[in-house]
Amino acid sequence: MTAGDPLHVRVRDIVELAPSLKRFSFEPAHGGLFPTPPAGGHVMLTLRDGARVMKNAYSLVSAPMERARYDIIVRLVAQSRGGSAFLHRKVMPGDVLEMASPVSLFPLAATARKHLLIGGGIGITPMLSFLPELKARGARFELHQLAGGEEAAVFERLLAPYAAGEEIRVHGGGRAAFDLAGLLSRQPLGTHVYVCGPHTLMDAVTGTATALGWPRGKIHKESFGGAGGGLPFRAILKRSGIEVEVGETQSLLEAIEAAGVDAPCLCRGGACGECMTPVIEGEVDHRDDFLSAEEKAGGRLVMTCVSRARGPRLVLDL
Amino acid sequence: MSDQGIKSRPKYQPIAPDPQGRHHLLVVDGPEVPTEALAEGVTPSAFEVWTVARKSAVPGSAAMDEEAGAVRVFRAVPHLFSALEERLARETMGLRLYAAGPETFLWDANGIGARAGLSRQEMAFAHVGAQARRIFCVHCRTVMEGVTTSITTCAGCGAPLFVRDHFSRRLAAFMAVQVDAEVPGEVPPAEELYS
Repeated sequence: MTAGDPLHVRVRDIVELAPSLKRFSFEPAHGGLFPTPPAGGHVMLTLRDGARVMKNAYSLVSAPMERARYDIIVRLVAQSRGGSAFLHRKVMPGDVLEMASPVSLFPLAATARKHLLIGGGIGITPMLSFLPELKARGARFELHQLAGGEEAAVFERLLAPYAAGEEIRVHGGGRAAFDLAGLLSRQPLGTHVYVCGPHTLMDAVTGTATALGWPRGKIHKESFGGAGGGLPFRAILKRSGIEVEVGETQSLLEAIEAAGVDAPCLCRGGACGECMTPVIEGEVDHRDDFLSAEEKAGGRLVMTCVSRARGPRLVLDL
Repeated sequence: MSDQGIKSRPKYQPIAPDPQGRHHLLVVDGPEVPTEALAEGVTPSAFEVWTVARKSAVPGSAAMDEEAGAVRVFRAVPHLFSALEERLARETMGLRLYAAGPETFLWDANGIGARAGLSRQEMAFAHVGAQARRIFCVHCRTVMEGVTTSITTCAGCGAPLFVRDHFSRRLAAFMAVQVDAEVPGEVPPAEELYS
């Protein structure tokens, strides 16, 4: 699945929200308006750092009804694979970037009677897109944002425009002080929960909600990648007849793309399943949220956007 | 003609409590839980059970027992449904709703559950008792209860209707369409199929 031709976007302005958080605002490079994005949608930016090409997905934080600009918030990650460092250090106002049209793997459920939003750290980003949409729909919702100490004030400011008369809380005291089980056990029938944040938080929400009797269909999560790097390895693309070296800070998908192979992908965060590729030989270090535990144990499939080889080589049917 | 191969025709299974659920409420159109409504090895004590006595003298439910094994008896189906609406409005996530009885009862319960926010994953139904159908005339929108034949006459517009297996969950009714639309007056004999 592709989302049509890429958009060319110009950086309007860059605002430093905190030492490691910057908000980038983009406008159409050739004038006009952007397509209406879905609430909770993300865009994929193509970042060209010299010869290196990175494609990173970022949630839109601007309101879904806003078409004059698209905003994203990027955290500078210490072990960045390059994307966030490039955006933070090299991209300047006026620069033109390539962006794939927004898609959403994190939609709001139309039948929900209440929406419970839980964000962890930079997982606040899709929530910022949900809030104006929920307000516009007049929907019932509640938001809990977890924040590391000094970021609580930043998140309070970002949420302030929506806070009047709503159940919006920023928890600066860390996970231990956040009563997740209490929160999930008092939700009325028909509530859907949406969580975006570190894997530990998403697993805790999924596990606690399931134990309290929430059905799978009412638990929604958005992974923001965090693929991380790993040891370098060699990938052999049997059908294409080529071999690629996957570097420490490179994903398997990026290495395949760098070799000129048009591999399928969509979310680049191990969530959507689009890049699923059959494995002919070699052991996989699975890092995605798409494959079931059985499929991962089976070792016949790999999600190229986040997963790697657990060894020196991987032979793919690609 | 009894199996028209239509996918919307609901399928039913004997009920077993969903192991993922936190609380299990079983509503029954009748004075007790029919054995055939439950899966093998499942007893009514796994559920909070609501029954319909169809008489005015019903025991008052002492305390509002809302736990597995508790039984609450209602005078009639509307009495039960009214209490069900109130109950679901104050329930929290984790409840599972089950219903046993004729199809009309099941799908009316489904409608109440869906309006309260329950998804299909949180409800299960067992069809026991009468096969008679609630039908909906697609031409004049008249709803008729207790139809047992393949062909019937619409009480609203007088059209001879063919009762399809095409089922609307929203209306909790089978769709009925004019049977002699192409050749007026050519109406096949009615067969007794749903008694």
